[in-house]
Amino acid sequence: MSAARPELAGTGPLLRLALRRDRLRLPIWIAVGALLVATQSVSSQALYDTPQDLAAYEASVGSNAATIALAGPPVGLDTVAGAVAFEISAFVILVAALMALFTTGRHTRGDEEAGRAELVRATRVGRHAPLLAAVLTSTAACVAIALAVGVAATATGLPVEGSFLLGAAVGAAGLVTTGATAVIAQVTGSVRATYGAIGALLAVAFVLRAVGDINGNWLVWTSPFGWAQATHPYSDDRWAPLLLCVGVAAALLVLAAALLDRRDLGAGLVPPRPGAAEAPRSLRSPVGLAFRLQRGWLAGWAVGLTLLGVVYGGLAESVETLFADNPDARAFLPDAESLVDAYLATTLAITALLAAAAAVSAVLRARAEESAGRAEPVLAAAVSRPAWLGAQAAVALLGSALVLLLSGAATGAVRAVATGDAGEFGRLLAATAAYLPAVWVVAGVALALFGLLPRAAAAAAWTVVGYVAVMTMFAESFDWPAWVDDASPLAWTPLVPVEDWRLAPLAVLTAIAAALLAAGLAGFRRRDLAPD
Amino acid sequence: MTTAISVSGLVKSFGATRALDGLDLEVASGEVHGFLGPNGSGKSTTIRVLLGLLRADAGRVQLLGGDPWRDAVALHRRLAYVPGDVTLWPQLTGGEAIDLLGRLQGGLDPARRAELLDRFDLDPRKRARTYSKGNRQKVALVAALASDAELYVLDEPTSGLDPLMEAVFQEEVRRLRAEGRTVLLSSHILAEAEALCDRVSIIRHGRTVQSGTLAELRHLTRTSMTVETARPVTGLDRLDGVHGLSTEDGRVHLDVDSDALDPVVRHLSGFGIRALTSAPPTLEELFLRHYGDAPAADGVEDGATPVGAVRS
Repeated sequence: MSAARPELAGTGPLLRLALRRDRLRLPIWIAVGALLVATQSVSSQALYDTPQDLAAYEASVGSNAATIALAGPPVGLDTVAGAVAFEISAFVILVAALMALFTTGRHTRGDEEAGRAELVRATRVGRHAPLLAAVLTSTAACVAIALAVGVAATATGLPVEGSFLLGAAVGAAGLVTTGATAVIAQVTGSVRATYGAIGALLAVAFVLRAVGDINGNWLVWTSPFGWAQATHPYSDDRWAPLLLCVGVAAALLVLAAALLDRRDLGAGLVPPRPGAAEAPRSLRSPVGLAFRLQRGWLAGWAVGLTLLGVVYGGLAESVETLFADNPDARAFLPDAESLVDAYLATTLAITALLAAAAAVSAVLRARAEESAGRAEPVLAAAVSRPAWLGAQAAVALLGSALVLLLSGAATGAVRAVATGDAGEFGRLLAATAAYLPAVWVVAGVALALFGLLPRAAAAAAWTVVGYVAVMTMFAESFDWPAWVDDASPLAWTPLVPVEDWRLAPLAVLTAIAAALLAAGLAGFRRRDLAPD
Repeated sequence: MTTAISVSGLVKSFGATRALDGLDLEVASGEVHGFLGPNGSGKSTTIRVLLGLLRADAGRVQLLGGDPWRDAVALHRRLAYVPGDVTLWPQLTGGEAIDLLGRLQGGLDPARRAELLDRFDLDPRKRARTYSKGNRQKVALVAALASDAELYVLDEPTSGLDPLMEAVFQEEVRRLRAEGRTVLLSSHILAEAEALCDRVSIIRHGRTVQSGTLAELRHLTRTSMTVETARPVTGLDRLDGVHGLSTEDGRVHLDVDSDALDPVVRHLSGFGIRALTSAPPTLEELFLRHYGDAPAADGVEDGATPVGAVRS
């Protein structure tokens, strides 16, 4: 092969290297995709076990614009299998797209930016070989997730052809993302810019598909998500739209190779713009630096959680009709006189979980600064340890509060418009605030870990987030002893708006968060700086 | 003479590794002090203790009259620091990083900043992610040199600089010295210390092995020479301070103790010198001869340096 196509020489070893480097990452992505389908399949079959339940589901969901915007085309809802595909396909497609984005980006622009590509290309390796190896790695992962989804759906009792078509649609969306990432990685000069551009393109594709599905028109055909979901698994079982995905992915790959021939190693097609020669006035303190470094993160979470708040608010309407007719689904929500409030309490708890994840990722940014050696010059200037960590903590705590309250405000605004009661806005915003102390406790745990156990902080903090997530979403479903759940700060949070706002537990949670922050500051003040 | 840095019996361990093992260091105010040692000998660890980034396990450490761990912030207002391995925020430009670091230290002189950017030929509008190692080093150097400090702590500041920029750097250090400021300059290059330093401390395996002026240390170092003369040289072996003498094709190779250079050169001139090359003493050679180890010279036995082994 290398003799015939010198530009592809070395693809084999590079492919093995990429698979070796991703031997943990890719199985996790694939398992997440398969597990999403398996859990949805099992829970939907339990929920809609009678034709009446299914008919009620179809009647309520099939005509709800917000659900359709989130999930996809409302087809095949007269079967449980169709309901499963409707509920979960958008999420699994997103998982596959992100997997393809990160895999392709890491092994192309990521390696170039780190300088590894230069080392590799100086050996007997052809110009196109790193790109081809990256694309083949991502393609292999897409094929694997397609098969895993098919097996997961079949194994939980869904029809075989539809299951593997669903899997193929998921994999095909991943292939298009692979091709698009390969192209953008040639154009931009940094891996962050590549991820940002593809992230924006995925958002546009999602919106085009959503608008197309709501109106039932041609717009869905402008979006790769639309092509994947136009397969209609378990109802029409159409394979043809997948040809469109594969064809576009192949064309994008050819384009990427052509662009690669027109640029230098390490450079993008877009020349880098010169930045500011002098720092703005705001960049003069640890807080100014922390905000500058985290403002992109903050904007991303703010947009994401605000949109989620809009969707949750929009879905509230159909909850009433759905749950009135289905006592099984009703069992998943807390007891309440108002079904809508019960539903809103659950969505607020999930939003709080996401805000906690945002806070933890912001806190761990401090650890990233420390291990990369960027904390050292700052702490060697006239900046105290508490001032530096306090700045990171301020961005994490205030940032997570901002994204949580924005989400609650969005839900409140949508509900206020839908019900015509302006009081809903204030009521739901106040309800959201009740979840803030719990978010801060999780952030406080991450801060304490950073101060006391810096090297274990990242793994331990994410384990805590995982524990709180499992307790919040599944504790009711299992017969665990009470104490297993009791360590979760959300277990002590009143489920507003179903329950009343109570000051005492929230004051205690806030005090715990403050104590954890103090422990983190004290620990960091006492320990050595630990770059790795 | 006041003391800027005073360290005695400093011990610092990382797990089972004893990085500093009773280190001593005295730096007088107003001097340029060379802090020399091979890679991994504990220079950066010492500097991090001096900056309060690491906490000493044992020993006494005084910096500008204060305790570097307890009084870190107050002391940092009076010093400027260039790390050995400069990592910058990839999304900030070089100019932004310079301003940030300068402001955090207590403000920098805009005129000096502009002058230094020009002298070091650094484009401040580029993002840090696109800078080479040398350019990242320049960012840290400009930020430190443009600030008004009593003490400059420079950890191998020239490791990524080309010879032209190294010359600029040396001029800037001389300027600091003329202004009466104190400089602690860590290096593993003896020639750099020789060009700049009033006094040096040499460390190895976390301990100080020599300290003093370069004149005082001169008996420790040897200059390697190759001479071509009109008439065959005789009598060199009777002179003190001559080692490893050999003759090859009419050229004489010898190593000369640095404090014996004058009588040797005088002796040689009597035979009509046609060509003379000399290689300055290196830290590696010094370690090899006096302590029997040099990280860069595997497999060479303790004792006299074989002729030709140190020619570079």
